[in-house]
This record gives sequence, structure tokens and C-alpha cells, in this order.
Amino acid sequence: MTTLSGTGVTPLAGVGTVQWYDPQVELSGVDASESIDPETELATFEQARDTARDELETERERTADRIGDAEAEVFEAHLGFLDDPQITEGVEETVEAGSTAQEAVAETFGSHIEQFESMEGRFAERAADLRDLRDRLLRILTDSDRVDLSELPDGTVLLAKDLAPSDTARLDPDAVAGIATVGGGRTSHSAIFARSLAIPAVVDVGEELSDIEDGTEVLVDGDAGTVVVDPESTPATEAATVEIRTEQVTTADGRAIEVAANVGTTDELAPAVERGADGVGLFRTEFLFLDRETPPTETEQYETYRAALDAFPTGRVVVRTLDAGGDKPIPYLDLPDEENPFLGARGIRLSLDENADLFETQLRALLRAGADGAGDLAVMFPMVATVAELDQVLTRVESVSDDLTSENIAHTVPELGVMIETPSAVFCAREFAERVQFLSIGTNDLTQYVMAASRGSEAVTDLHDPLHPAVLRAIDRTVREGHQGGAWVGVCGEMAGEPELTPLLVGLGVDELSMSAVTIPAVKAAVTAADSDATLIESVLASETREAVRDRLHLG
Amino acid sequence: MERVVTIVPEAGLHARPASRFVQTANEFECELRIGPADGSDDPVNARSMLAVTGLGVEHGERVSVIADGNDATAALDALEDVLSTEEAVG
Repeated sequence: MTTLSGTGVTPLAGVGTVQWYDPQVELSGVDASESIDPETELATFEQARDTARDELETERERTADRIGDAEAEVFEAHLGFLDDPQITEGVEETVEAGSTAQEAVAETFGSHIEQFESMEGRFAERAADLRDLRDRLLRILTDSDRVDLSELPDGTVLLAKDLAPSDTARLDPDAVAGIATVGGGRTSHSAIFARSLAIPAVVDVGEELSDIEDGTEVLVDGDAGTVVVDPESTPATEAATVEIRTEQVTTADGRAIEVAANVGTTDELAPAVERGADGVGLFRTEFLFLDRETPPTETEQYETYRAALDAFPTGRVVVRTLDAGGDKPIPYLDLPDEENPFLGARGIRLSLDENADLFETQLRALLRAGADGAGDLAVMFPMVATVAELDQVLTRVESVSDDLTSENIAHTVPELGVMIETPSAVFCAREFAERVQFLSIGTNDLTQYVMAASRGSEAVTDLHDPLHPAVLRAIDRTVREGHQGGAWVGVCGEMAGEPELTPLLVGLGVDELSMSAVTIPAVKAAVTAADSDATLIESVLASETREAVRDRLHLG
Repeated sequence: MERVVTIVPEAGLHARPASRFVQTANEFECELRIGPADGSDDPVNARSMLAVTGLGVEHGERVSVIADGNDATAALDALEDVLSTEEAVG
């Protein structure tokens, strides 16, 4: 199992089989002895242009239907370039001078692409549009077979150097389990399309992505911004197939540890049950708000939460309220464009302020589902930094419950919890724990904020590691203060899904681990082998460097 | 005839506003050109997406639209409308 880091653009995760996509077209060589007839070449170009126009119009309509009119305008721009008089003149002149239609298209577009590449900012994006259009024309002219993006087999994870918007718009969200690209950015059209189609996506992974071969099993986690290669083969499990345990497991010294799944859509519930999840430790709700023009209704949300509770009739389902903002923009919320979204309005900050109505609707749906669903509901709140915020949240919950009572609607106030993602939350863990039933440590964000190292930045990859002593001490403090305040403590970040770190987390006193369903069997096996080795944990917490931590845990 | 307009769309004259501008220009018969109002660049063909986006005009900058022909006034009205309308947020 290898984990590559990039920038998550869709707060969803998916597992599937790799299919590489390379839109580059090889030009057909021309035999020197063949004579080139300009008339024929121009007619060929005109035909290709007609075909491209038909394709673009079809894609524009489909994008307008599936994503939105604004996104469909990308194709409008492509149509504009396609019929541009400068392109027409350029191709005609090059053909008249003795080139084939293919050569003329490559050359004419090439000169304009260079011009735009030399410009700055948004204008450089036009170069990408022109490349995309040039490749489309060349594909038509060379009659190239290429991967048909609209017909990918179910469970495909599409990998590419970069994806053009027109590529992403062709994807079938039901078939594509995820997208990961070498380059690209969070604000590119492709990223926006992926979000709108609710396809898990990670961009800007870097050249390491190119080492992954077709047919490899990968997990694309857009929430964590990671691509996990061979998620089921871990050092601990490569030798043998891990047995699936459906019962709750205990450590060698008899502590029961709940091993739960991180779930991003209702489609992931059944696989989580199959892998032996005791419940859901993080049910992300962003998917409900994506791929649509208006927010989901109370009824729609109720049915979704109900489905999750019914999937785990004897377990607990922890639902995280909408965690928008930061790297998780929601199209119709029109969130402020912030200089630093990770330190701006995100998570509970939005729910208590701009999105108070959305928050109220979500709470109503949750309290109702909690009364009617089979499993035990728990609700947690993202990005809480202060006791005052938590008190406001609890007041909202109470007032929603009062409303439902006065409307005579069946409901229940579920277990409530706070996500520990900021240093502030670590230092307030005791006060939080006295007010709610549980704390759940989101180690990806906690690492980012403790180390002041962005998850998406190549330059600070070494700092973005939860094994730095500072992060481990923050986790240790949270667990101790949480327990003293009377709350149970879980971990729902990526770290929870790494079996080699299970002894460490169990040793720190964590009560629940939640992860992508694929790693549940391996982690359950690691729990049964672990015991709370106080000496080891003491020495780890006293380590001065992450290298010393790794040595003490015998990690390579 | 000539008309000077300040670019309102936040993103300047890039793909979407530019394609709307070119589409609008194509609805008229007259000759149409557009360039920076300060004359720092020569005016370009208003019916060419490449030329229009290639100007690199940003939000808040002033451009001069030049029309020559029978429907020049109507064309200038329509093009001014495109350039002074905030881009719809999708």
C-alpha cells in the first residue's frame, strides 16, 4: 500500500481499477511520394470541423442538462474558436503551401497556443482550451481510436496527466469511481465539473502518479486529497488474505475498539457492511449537496440518513453535518472567494452564519431519522474551534427539537460530538467533552493546522505527517481530556486506516477508529494483536523527531 | 463610429464574456473592431475569438469598439450591453 498526496477537489472517496487516459494524438505520417491536393485537404478539414461542431454541440447540451448552463459555456468558447476566421485563414494558407489538413491544424493551433501560453492568469487557460480543441480535430482527422470516456466500465478510476473540461463532462458518474491527475488545480474547469458530477477527484498529485499501471486497484480520497495504491495490500496483510470479521474486536488486553467506516455516499454502505464495519464513524453529507442546482429537501435528507441507519441496525452511524468551504465548495452556495479558504469560513462557521437555514433543515432531517432508523444515530460538527460555537450549536439542536415537538413529529436528540481538527479544539477538548458525548479527531486537518502545512502543497509534504511528535501529543491530549470530560474519543482521519499505526492509536487510548471500508479487515486484525503498551507510548510521545517516532514503532 | 466601454465582467474579456461578445458581433452585418481605448494596441477583428481574447483585457479596463456599416449603431448598443453586464454566476 502506497499513499500519494495531491489536492482533493471533491469531498468523496471511491475505489476502483485504474485506466490511464492520454488524449495525445499521433499524426499520420505522409509518404513523401504521395502528392498532396490542397482541394482535398481543405474538404477534409471542413468535414472534420463539421464533426467537431456536432460533437461540441452535443456535449454542450449534455453538460447544460447534467451540470449547468454556466459550465456548458466552455463548449460555447470552443465553438467560437472552431469557427474563428484566424483559424480558418491559418489552415487554408498552410494547406495552400503544401501541408496536409492534419499538419495545418497542428501548426495553426500551435502558434496561437504559444501566444496564449505567454500570457498570464486566466488567459493562459485559453491555451488549454485551444489544445483541447486541436486534439479533438486531430483525433477526427486521424480517425484515432481513443478511450471512450462516456463508455468506461463500472468501477473505473481514470488517471491522466490532466483532463480537459470536455473530457470530464463526458464521464458517467455512475461508472467512474474516481479521477486523479498529475497536474491541474482546484479551480480548473475539470475540477469544477468533477465536483458537480460528484465524482471523487484528486488533482496535482505529481509525477509519482505516472508510476501507477493500468489495472491497479486504487482508492481516490478527495476528502483527504490522497490516492492510495493497492489499498488492501498493506505490509501486515500482503502475506495472507485478511479474514473479514463481522463482530466487534477487542485488543489482546481486552479493550473493545469500534472499527467503523468512512462513507461518502449511500452506495458505500453495503461494501462497508460486507467488510465487517461495526458502524459508520464518518458519514460525509456533502454528496447530498453536490450535482444539483438547489439544496436537498428535508425529506430527501431524512431518507438518506434513514438508509444509513437501516444499513447498520445494531451499530452506530456518525453523521457529519455539512462541511462546506475550505477545499469543499458547493456550487450554489456562492461562498466568498477567500484568500485562504482553509483559514476562512468553512464547516460549522458557515452553518452558524450564512447557511443557518441549511443547517436547520439538516438537523430536522437528522433528528427525525434518529427516531425512525434502525441503528443508533450520532451527529458531529466539523471545524468547531470555540466553546461559544459549540454552545450555539447545542442551542440550535435544542430549538429544532422543540419545533419538532410542537409540530408533533417523532424525533430523538442523538449522541452529539465535535470534530477535533484545530489546535484550538485540542486545547478546549475538556470543555467540549463536558458538553457532548464524543470527540472525533480528523487527523488530516489536525495535522495541517498543527503543522501549518497545507495538505495540497508539494513543498511541505514532509511537514504534513501525523507522526510528528506535535501531532501525536495533540492526539494524546485530546484523548486524555476527552475521557476526563466524560466523552469517548474516535479517530476518523487517514491515519485510522493504517494497520501499522493501530497499536499506536489503541495505545493512546482511542475508543473508535473510522476509515475507508477497504482497510477495515486489516485494522480489525491489527486491533486483536495490539495491547496497550504504556512504555512504548511514553517513549513515542517523548520523541523529538518523527524519525525517532518511526524507529520506535518499527516503521521503515 | 466608435464607442468607449469599461469592462464590467469580473474575469475581464476571457472565454465566456469573449464568446458572448463574438457571438453578438456575428449577428450584425457591419465591420466591427475592438481595441484598448488608450490606443496601446491596434484594434482587432471583433468576430475572432482568438483576437478578442488575445487582447488580454481585464476587468475595469476601457476598450474602444469601432463599427462601420448600416447597422453600426445597433451593433454598438448590443456589444456595449455584453461588455457592461456582470457575468452570471453559474
